[in-house]
Amino acid sequence: MATNVLARNNVKVFGRGTQPMLFAHGFGCDQNMWRFVTPAFERDYRIVLFDYVGSGKSDLTAYDATRYATLDGYAEDVLDVCRALDLSDVIFVGHSVSSMVGVIAANEEPDRFSRLILVGPSPRYINDGPDYVGGFERADIEGLLETMEKNYIGWANFLAPAVMKNPERPELSQELEASFCSTDPVIARRFAEATFFADNRADLPAVRVPSLIMQCSDDMIAPLAVGDYLNRTLPGSTLIVLSATGHCPHLSHPDETIRVIQEYLAVSPASPTAELTAHGG
Amino acid sequence: MAGDVSLTREPVLPPAIGASEMDSLLDRAPCGFISFADNGELRAINATLLDLLGYSRADLVGRHVETILNVGSRIFYQTHLFPLLKLHGRAEEVFLLLRGKNGEDVGALANAVRRERGDEWITDCVLMRVVERRKFEDALLRAKKVAEEASDEAHARRREAEEANELLERQAVELELSQQQLLEQAEELETQSEALRAVNDELVARTDELQRLRTLAEDANRAKSAFLAVMSHELRTPLNAIGGYVQLLEMGIHGPVTDAMSEALGRISRSQRHLLRLINDVLNLARIEAGRVDYDLETFAIPEVVSAVLPMVEPQLTARRLRYTVNVAHDARVYADREKVQQILLNLLSNATKFTPSGGVVSVDAHVNGDRLVSVQVRDSGVGIAPDHLEHVFEPFVQVDVSHTRRAEGTGLGLAISRDLARGMGGDLSAESQVGSGSTFTLTLPRTA
Repeated sequence: MATNVLARNNVKVFGRGTQPMLFAHGFGCDQNMWRFVTPAFERDYRIVLFDYVGSGKSDLTAYDATRYATLDGYAEDVLDVCRALDLSDVIFVGHSVSSMVGVIAANEEPDRFSRLILVGPSPRYINDGPDYVGGFERADIEGLLETMEKNYIGWANFLAPAVMKNPERPELSQELEASFCSTDPVIARRFAEATFFADNRADLPAVRVPSLIMQCSDDMIAPLAVGDYLNRTLPGSTLIVLSATGHCPHLSHPDETIRVIQEYLAVSPASPTAELTAHGG
Repeated sequence: MAGDVSLTREPVLPPAIGASEMDSLLDRAPCGFISFADNGELRAINATLLDLLGYSRADLVGRHVETILNVGSRIFYQTHLFPLLKLHGRAEEVFLLLRGKNGEDVGALANAVRRERGDEWITDCVLMRVVERRKFEDALLRAKKVAEEASDEAHARRREAEEANELLERQAVELELSQQQLLEQAEELETQSEALRAVNDELVARTDELQRLRTLAEDANRAKSAFLAVMSHELRTPLNAIGGYVQLLEMGIHGPVTDAMSEALGRISRSQRHLLRLINDVLNLARIEAGRVDYDLETFAIPEVVSAVLPMVEPQLTARRLRYTVNVAHDARVYADREKVQQILLNLLSNATKFTPSGGVVSVDAHVNGDRLVSVQVRDSGVGIAPDHLEHVFEPFVQVDVSHTRRAEGTGLGLAISRDLARGMGGDLSAESQVGSGSTFTLTLPRTA
């Protein structure tokens, strides 16, 4: 079973530390998104990368439309990987939709996680009434689905042959990356729906794991109001607004991303003792 | 031939195009062109695209590239296109919806390449407007969707049909089975019906036979009773004559009587009395069985009857040195024939006295037995009756032991008469006994308040 999960989710483990840092990619791409960030943590942590089933080089035959219809199924992938590697005291780093996947996983098995680092998180993308600004209307998401549909017409043609990526030989990657954002169009559409129609606001108050909210200063996918909302609603959260713009600071501004994560982990040491103190009472 | 000619001719080169003229050509090329930095900031935008979107160059230079995308395509840019450019350095044939200044969306295909220029990374991107192609793609997608839906529908229909068919087949098999079972059941029913008819015929025949036998038995019994009644009367007349003449002889009317004669006369007299009592009992039984007994039913208290009967048996009890106890409930009231109850009790007490050895105990108990009955029990401490004899004591002419007959006087009809009388009043008479520890006779009678 453990071996199956490692192959199924294309799990990569490296680094010289002992405490695990589990990086979860967002909607659209795969674990390659973390390539500019992970080298900075290799010395002190055990880095775990993976692709969700249906993304990257995961085993597409393991895709189950019912399981992955909501983010709960993706949270199960995270917990499956944790169980397969017997991870504990995990620093979970999730980008975009993976922030809420991490919240769900941490609510299910709180003892497994020591910190949640949420990069560009949003608990709900669609505006709701006068009090909640998510940034989008439902029609906007329909527009995204149309754009995706058009692009997968072309992309389906250059699905690269299934050659294993080898992070230790970057020269190999160049050609293979042509397909890193490509995947089965049906799966991609379902992932988009699970992501952008999700509403995880009710999961937030239950979170017992301390968290860092990394909010970009100009992110059309997660506006500033969403970061404020999260900071108010997530118990034990720290909000940092990056000078980075856009939705992928780990790609566009890796240095700032690394520095903010390192500072957070230094100021708030991610050890179980520190957590107990933080929640003592 | 023509090829040979061209080979020999000097090529006529067009005049060289300078960089500034190239810029002007790019500005007016039949496709859109933009350059933007990694942070999305637009650095260049050609006139063709400005015209298409309705913007002036000043509107857009320095603004974010998202400005010219519709919302869905902005998300796509952030989640797909930007990572693709950043990691792969290029993107080809990416469909985007451009948003014009007036809010109208225009479909475009983008080819882009990201490269270092000066000291920063710049993405150059051509945008080819797709109108007819987009219609074509939309039509294709619609057709695909329709085909998929039709396929799903067909698949579902087929599965439904298959399921329906399977169900029908199963039902057909079940029906066949049911039919077979029904046939078998019908046959079995027919067989059973025949058997029942035979049994019924036999029952009818037996009932007729029983009815006939019963009538015969009743006739015979009536005839027997009538005969016994007549015979008893006929027998009593000469017996009375015998008794009368013995009395005359004893009185010495026909001459002196010697001691021997007197003894002989005594024996004749005792035999005559025994015979007369026997005949009276037979007559009684015959009357009862012939249904010729009238019951004079009334309400009375059992203690009254017990008080009336006890003096009649007291001399015998005393003579046999028997102790007796009486325990009668005062509320034991019955609806019955007083004379006959008295007769039954007398019979039971006489029997108890007769069959209890000297020094024994006879007891009478009467108590209310539920709402409807009063029980009167006569108990003795005699020899008792063996179980196989117990069921016969109520039959005429039966006494428990032949050896007793010699010691105990009696006709053997008393219990038979008593039970018949008890039943005639809606009660009953039963017996319990253990050999060696006495017998209990229980008379039950209908209770009244």
